[in-house]
Amino acid sequence: MIQFQDVSKHYDTHTALRKITFSVEKGEMIFITGPSGSGKSTLLKLIYLAEKPDEGNIRVAEWETNTLRDSHIPLVRRTIGVIFQDFRLLGNRDVFENVALALRIRGADERDIKAKVFDALKTVNLRHKSDSYPDTLSGGEQQRVAIARAIVSDPIIILADEPTGNVDPDTSVGIIRTFKDINAKGSTILIATHNRELFRNTGRRVLKLDFGNFAGEEPG
Amino acid sequence: MSLRYSFKLAAMSLLHEKWINLLSVLTLAAGLLITSITLLSVYNINIATNRLPEKFSVMLYLKDNLSREEVASVMNAARKESTIETIKYIPKDEALQELKKTLKNTEFVLEGLGENPLPDSIDIRLKREFVRPEMVKTVTAKLKEINGVDEVEYGERFLSSIYSLRFGMKTVGFVFVFIMSVGMIFVCYATVKILFYRREREIETYKLLGATKVFIRAPFLIEGAAIGLFSGLLSLAGMLALYYLIILKLSLTFPLFHAILFPLQLSFVLPLIGLFLGMTGGIIAIGRIRY
Repeated sequence: MIQFQDVSKHYDTHTALRKITFSVEKGEMIFITGPSGSGKSTLLKLIYLAEKPDEGNIRVAEWETNTLRDSHIPLVRRTIGVIFQDFRLLGNRDVFENVALALRIRGADERDIKAKVFDALKTVNLRHKSDSYPDTLSGGEQQRVAIARAIVSDPIIILADEPTGNVDPDTSVGIIRTFKDINAKGSTILIATHNRELFRNTGRRVLKLDFGNFAGEEPG
Repeated sequence: MSLRYSFKLAAMSLLHEKWINLLSVLTLAAGLLITSITLLSVYNINIATNRLPEKFSVMLYLKDNLSREEVASVMNAARKESTIETIKYIPKDEALQELKKTLKNTEFVLEGLGENPLPDSIDIRLKREFVRPEMVKTVTAKLKEINGVDEVEYGERFLSSIYSLRFGMKTVGFVFVFIMSVGMIFVCYATVKILFYRREREIETYKLLGATKVFIRAPFLIEGAAIGLFSGLLSLAGMLALYYLIILKLSLTFPLFHAILFPLQLSFVLPLIGLFLGMTGGIIAIGRIRY
């Protein structure tokens, strides 16, 4: 489903990723770990095309991202659900509208939107907050809204950048359980986290990054 | 993409950024009002000068004591000119009667003249399309050559002045309208650009969630169009108010104002011009969207 072949990404002052090669099979749920600045977020950005690699090839589903035309970028992004590190919730829309946005962008009809949004909010236990605005929610609740938005369109790939960064340990466990449930339905999931507790004893693959270098793979 | 949702987003932004939008609407409406007044002036001058050919005539004053045959010969020679619509002989006695009618109560100025001082004349009306200064000059030069014609008169200066005024007003009017249009497009451009920058993060989120360029652009275009349309309607209201003020109030004191015409088409055209300007400004402002 996702293939990286000798991928490097340089910024002006440093190298974020150096010659990274790995692949993720369809339906897999893997963790990417490493300390802050190790390149986890950059790796995810390369998958959802927010960044372009300087070297190497990336394949996402059936698309070779290096040769992708600009007009096809939205198509690739619609197959991916992203939970951004900073959530990227829209402050002027309520929870329902924030989650619905992912479907509206895909041109879904109103009846479908209503059913799917409430379904996604139920999955993250936020059905009762559908009329609230993001700034009235706690960090953990905002994170769950971001998760609901990422899963609402049933994407084939879900990318989560530090999805438990703002939540307490109990909520973290709940979030990981949610991901497992979604994964069980067939979605491929990549979770970037520095929190080793999240993947301990999960039995999932863990890719380790260390200052842009691939530092091995270990079972969770 | 749901067009209804684009309209919803545009409406939300219009309300949320109401002060910027209101300022743009007022600026545009003022611009459109000034432009409309210019166009209305050009339109009225055009109408007025278009009526000129109906009133315009060339007078051929004949030499004294021409016989009937000689007068007929002059008229036949004049008729050969293809530019002439009608031709009418005015004997000097009839001309004097006409003059007396015109003078009405000041007829006494003619007392003591004794003999009728007026010459026999021929009143010539030219075909509408030939009532132009340079054409009239050519025709009158030819008429003057006819044997038996003493003088030709047609109010050369008046005709030239009217045509210069018409040409000047049209040129100045259109240059002014062009400059105003560019200015108004710039106002829309600046407004949409500001709104675009203010929502940059929101747009970035749309892009990351897979929004197409049309999805991102549509609300801004609708917003630009709405600003333009509201401005058009507001300027139309201003224009009508101004027109009725002139017709109903000022024309009582200055009857000349009563002759001013208001083309009804302007009622449809003004909002459409606003719409067009708003959308044009919007399109330029959004420019290319890069992923």
